[in-house]
Amino acid sequence: MSYEAIALLMFATMMMLLLTGQRFFGVIGFVASAFALMLWGVGGEEMPFNAAFILFNWYPLLTLPLFIYMGYMLSESGIADDLYRMFHVWFGPVRGGLAIGTIGLMVIIAAMNGLSVAGMAIGASVALPELLRRGYDKRMISGVIQAGSSLGILIPPSVVLVLYGLIARQPVGALWLAGVFPGLLLAGLFVAYVAIRCYVQPHLGPPLPPEERTVSWSEKIRLLGAGILPFLIFLSMSGLFLMGVTSLVESSAVGAAGATLAALFRRRLTRQVIEDTIRKTLAISCMFMWIILAALCFGAVFDGLGAVHGLRYLFLERWALDPWTILIMMQISYLIMGTFLDDTAMLVIVAPLYVPLVIALGFDPVWYGILYTITCQIAYMTPPFGYNLFLMRAMAPPEITLTDIYRSIVPFVGVMILGLAIIMVYPQIALWLPNIYYGR
Amino acid sequence: MPRPIRAYVRYVDAVNRVIGRAAMWLVFAMMGVLLFSTIWRSAFGISFIWIVEVSQMLLAAYYLLGAGYSLQLDAHVRMDLLYSRWSPRVKAIADVLTSVLVLFYMLVLLFGGISSTQYALEYGQKNYSSWAPPLAPIKIVMTIGIVFMLLQVVAVFFKDLAKARGETLE
Repeated sequence: MSYEAIALLMFATMMMLLLTGQRFFGVIGFVASAFALMLWGVGGEEMPFNAAFILFNWYPLLTLPLFIYMGYMLSESGIADDLYRMFHVWFGPVRGGLAIGTIGLMVIIAAMNGLSVAGMAIGASVALPELLRRGYDKRMISGVIQAGSSLGILIPPSVVLVLYGLIARQPVGALWLAGVFPGLLLAGLFVAYVAIRCYVQPHLGPPLPPEERTVSWSEKIRLLGAGILPFLIFLSMSGLFLMGVTSLVESSAVGAAGATLAALFRRRLTRQVIEDTIRKTLAISCMFMWIILAALCFGAVFDGLGAVHGLRYLFLERWALDPWTILIMMQISYLIMGTFLDDTAMLVIVAPLYVPLVIALGFDPVWYGILYTITCQIAYMTPPFGYNLFLMRAMAPPEITLTDIYRSIVPFVGVMILGLAIIMVYPQIALWLPNIYYGR
Repeated sequence: MPRPIRAYVRYVDAVNRVIGRAAMWLVFAMMGVLLFSTIWRSAFGISFIWIVEVSQMLLAAYYLLGAGYSLQLDAHVRMDLLYSRWSPRVKAIADVLTSVLVLFYMLVLLFGGISSTQYALEYGQKNYSSWAPPLAPIKIVMTIGIVFMLLQVVAVFFKDLAKARGETLE
């Protein structure tokens, strides 16, 4: 059997076994260790544990538990309540204004956190009940919260870009900066969609009744103060990192400590909150780490087969495709895989296959990191497998059914694909900031 | 279910709960070490050579010792394309059958862990860095974590088996 055929067989076996619903880490780990044993016999049995040591030496991985901790701490700290009140007052009078305000809230949360979990939790607990009470269309709300919270992985800090940086060997600072404008572009497109849709169909997002709009200007200005604390957290974390004061890993510890202080400052730091936060942090971190552990071994076996070279040869030489066609095909295949593969698994299994190919084709790996992340965001939201879908289901009140959640994301996925296309055509949107900052 | 199995499940659950709930506090240890390094470097211009490795060891201990407890919390995601549509009983049956896969992986992982630890002990293996700490201690901790994860996988297998037969283990 040729090595390419074995590589295909590995992939097919994994897909089949994943369908049984067994946990990801178990299935991926099994396929990897079984093939390692079959291919290399003695010595192959060392590969799964060796992966644990490769993980050990991936220093930036320390940001993972710390960012997860920070996300949960921020959502417990109640920092979002004031922020939401600010957006509520400022955008309330516009049609669809509260939904637009929710997107604004999500952008700020994303700037403080590297995953979408925090945005999701805050969106579902703070914004969602309020929007429902104001008679907003439930599908509109569910879509806004899911799409908005997915910005968490694009706007710096971003855990996904840290993982991408590890695999593609790109500086995390450049990747984070590259995420800024694409993130704002997507947020802008979401706002435009909501504004236009609510302008045409006012019943989807009614403006606040006039009697609630009369908020004095001094009150309005005072509410802007809610932005100070998030800004300080952003500055102490991403700011210090980009200025070169702290290293990446240190900045995540500073951010985690900052979130804890914010909770303390707002008198929310009870023993119960601490315990819940660190328990959830352990659960989510273990889930991520064990998938990465298994996927690394899978990747090592895959690498050993030389599958990447086979692929490159096939596309470039045998089929003589031009680079853009290959890139677009890759994005489409990523989107399709993203709908049914967990994105951590996708990142660690598929990215090592794609990234060398992208570089070989002459594309900028930093720019591709952004394309990759937006694709991940879409994968986050698309059924049947999406973290955001699960989280939304778990957090939303019963009147929002699974069908509502599924259907709510359709227009937003469309908007995101549009954003993806814009950034593909105009790479400068992503690359301008890192190029200026690092003088590339 | 026979009494020894019940006792096993109860015992493993309890032990992993204790280990996991202890391991979850390590997140503060990681934070502490990194903050310590940040403050000393920016305030006094002193950096320490052990920071990176100590925090890496803490992370390894964190996710491996916490693994059993995370399995108890059912934190590990699955592809639920079909799975979510099955009844609890069918889910349990599928899990019983596919537990073999996880068990196999855990055994290979354990095997590798033991042989790697033996090597580290025999040759006094040190990490390849300027601080060069011995690697045996952290490898022992990692292997212990894998052992307890393996025990938990078996416990979950028994729980699923009981569910598949329409019993409960409580």
